[in-house]
Amino acid sequence: MIRLEGLSKSFGAYAAVSDLNLEVKPGEIVGFLGPNGAGKTTTVKMMTGLLRPTSGRVLVAGRDMARDPIAAKRAMGLVPDEPFVYPKLTGAEYLRFVGELYGVCLSDMKKRVPELLEMFELTPWGGELLESYSHGMRQKLVLGGILLHDPKILVLDEPMVGLDPKSARLVKDIFLRLARRGTAIFMCTHVLEIAEKLCHRIGVMTRGKLIACGTLDELRAQSKEEGRDLESVFLSLTGGAEYSTLLRHL
Amino acid sequence: MFGTLLRRRARTFFNTILHWTGYEWLRNAAFGSAGFGLLFGLHDGFYRLLKYLAGVELIGLLLIWKLTAMLLLMTFSMVIVSSLLTALTTLFYSSDLKFLFKAPLSLRVVFLDKSLESAFFASWMIGLILVPYIAALMRVRGLGAGYFLAFAAALPPFLLLAASFGIAFTLLLLWLFPTSRTRDIVWVFSSLSLTVVYGLVRFAQPERLIRPDALKVVAEYLNFLQAPTAPYLPSWWLAEALRMAAEGNGRGWALRTAGSWAMACLVYGLLVALAGKIYFIGYSGAQEGALHRRVHAFQLLPEQRLLGVRSAAALLWKERTTFFRDVKHWSQILLIMGLVFVYLFSIQRLPLDSAELKSLVSFLNVGAAGFVLAALGLRFTFPAISLEGRSWWVLRSAPLDIGQIMREKFAFSAVPILGIAATLAAMTNWILEADRFTSWLSLAALLTVGLAICAMGVGFGALFPNFLVENIHQIESSVGGFVYMAACLFYVGLTIAVLAPPMQMHFAERFGTGVWNSRVALYSGAGWLILNLVAFIVPWQLGRQALEDHE
Repeated sequence: MIRLEGLSKSFGAYAAVSDLNLEVKPGEIVGFLGPNGAGKTTTVKMMTGLLRPTSGRVLVAGRDMARDPIAAKRAMGLVPDEPFVYPKLTGAEYLRFVGELYGVCLSDMKKRVPELLEMFELTPWGGELLESYSHGMRQKLVLGGILLHDPKILVLDEPMVGLDPKSARLVKDIFLRLARRGTAIFMCTHVLEIAEKLCHRIGVMTRGKLIACGTLDELRAQSKEEGRDLESVFLSLTGGAEYSTLLRHL
Repeated sequence: MFGTLLRRRARTFFNTILHWTGYEWLRNAAFGSAGFGLLFGLHDGFYRLLKYLAGVELIGLLLIWKLTAMLLLMTFSMVIVSSLLTALTTLFYSSDLKFLFKAPLSLRVVFLDKSLESAFFASWMIGLILVPYIAALMRVRGLGAGYFLAFAAALPPFLLLAASFGIAFTLLLLWLFPTSRTRDIVWVFSSLSLTVVYGLVRFAQPERLIRPDALKVVAEYLNFLQAPTAPYLPSWWLAEALRMAAEGNGRGWALRTAGSWAMACLVYGLLVALAGKIYFIGYSGAQEGALHRRVHAFQLLPEQRLLGVRSAAALLWKERTTFFRDVKHWSQILLIMGLVFVYLFSIQRLPLDSAELKSLVSFLNVGAAGFVLAALGLRFTFPAISLEGRSWWVLRSAPLDIGQIMREKFAFSAVPILGIAATLAAMTNWILEADRFTSWLSLAALLTVGLAICAMGVGFGALFPNFLVENIHQIESSVGGFVYMAACLFYVGLTIAVLAPPMQMHFAERFGTGVWNSRVALYSGAGWLILNLVAFIVPWQLGRQALEDHE
């Protein structure tokens, strides 16, 4: 459904992402972990056409993002790490705008927009300008926006940040249900518990390179941390053991 | 604590300068030179005016000091209006306020820091314009360098007092009505005041003072000239201090200057004391979002009825909705209306006697109105792409072509710009009773200029996008804005040059000194076409490519 082939991105001499190869199949949830500055957001930006790769390519539902970006983007929904939305539109208007851009028919929007607002408990706020929304409310609205056009692929950059526990649970259930329906989901997160519970496969990235990718058991075996939780696996893979020395500075 | 805050400002200032690249040095030197040239031009204008007034028998000196008092009164009003706007943004909406309010600082220290910043930004540019006036006054009256020091010592309390009025008004208003809606009201009120001050200055026809026929009228109002101009305001105190310094009355100057300083300290001290009690109430209220429920009916959008293309119509609808909900744009519209009225008023007051001269001015109006359109393009069209801001990801990740986004920005700007272009051309031609050929040529030229300025605005806006800016002035004053404005002025100049030959032949034919040469007209038309094709296509394509590659 989504395939990254030899994807690289350099900013001058600095290689933010190097030779990344990855595939997310229909119905699969792939989590992407890595320390700050590892290249996760750069990868998301290249996958969604916000950034042009230095080399390599992104195939979305068989379409090359560089050659046929409009068809590729139509099949995809993005939740960015910071959900900035037009402050002078209302919640309902934002959803309407997104629906128009993705070609959702008017009668569907008439039905779906109130449902989505209701689902994310935004109905009382649907007529208010987005400048009055909190971070979590904007995050829920952006999620509503991608559900409105029902894409085959979801690319999520820290989708749980700012969500209250109830909404976070709801969002997790939505992702699982969408995956069961065949949606491919690629998710960057720092919340290891979510990756552990939600993802079928987990990729670990550090300094622009994918250093491990597989199921949790495969990662445990690779890191020689059998029987340990994802946090231990992650710290082992990314060199986190040194962090006890850092604490000495405290 | 206040010392620490001041040091952080000094550190920021020096760090900014120390980290300028060679290109930034060059750019800022160019801007500085342009500014200096402008001040020099102003000085020259003031010098001619003052020299003329000084030469008027009997009342020459009286006229000079009356003009000085009026200028200072105008400066005082402009600093007040300007401080209304800056106080609002600096005291209640600055990005560093969250940090300052979280820090263990007293409210008065925070207020002192931010209000002085506000006073500085509200007054420095207006105060700077007084410098060429004083320099011209010194030249005309033969005053030494000491006079400039006397002026420099008397100026700060004058500016601080003016700024204090604006700050106090904003502070009290936000205290009485601590909501974000007050911000909108202050914004519109300030812009309206600015438009009124601008209009009043122009409609007062100050040019009459330097025309001999008007001087008779001035002489009849000798008593008026001798009377003080708003004697209770600091502008009169400064005018009097400057007059006394010029007359060598050091004691009188010192008394008035000391009085101004004392009054400024008293007013500012009271303001700081008051702020300790009410500043936080206003700040807290200003952070609350305005709640105004809007019900969205899921019907065809007006743009969809008009265009049919869904995504293009949706983009236009989004643009229109967000534009008119932003109160800052209303204030700009008020200012533009004022500008258009003043422009047409100035055309109507031009002392033109012959029909030929009127027709010539109608044609040259393409240049002047083109400049106005370029200024509007710089304010509205050029920033349009960058104003997508951090929401840019919504469009960039949507199934849209960059060209489509640019076309929508062009269409949204082109409609009002064409309206203003048509108004300026048609009204000017009507006021000047231009002949048919000149009228149609100038109308066609100005409409084309309007379209090209929009296309260049979108093109250059895409070539120099900045999605991280906090306010529109940063976009306007960026390198891209400078390049856009320079390109527009160059284009307008070339338009005049390319269209001059047919105009010249038209006049020659009217005067019977030459005949119409179709070949020259054809070359001219071809040149005009090529010029516009280049203006439309080159920045557009460069911008489109740059936006696609933007990281």
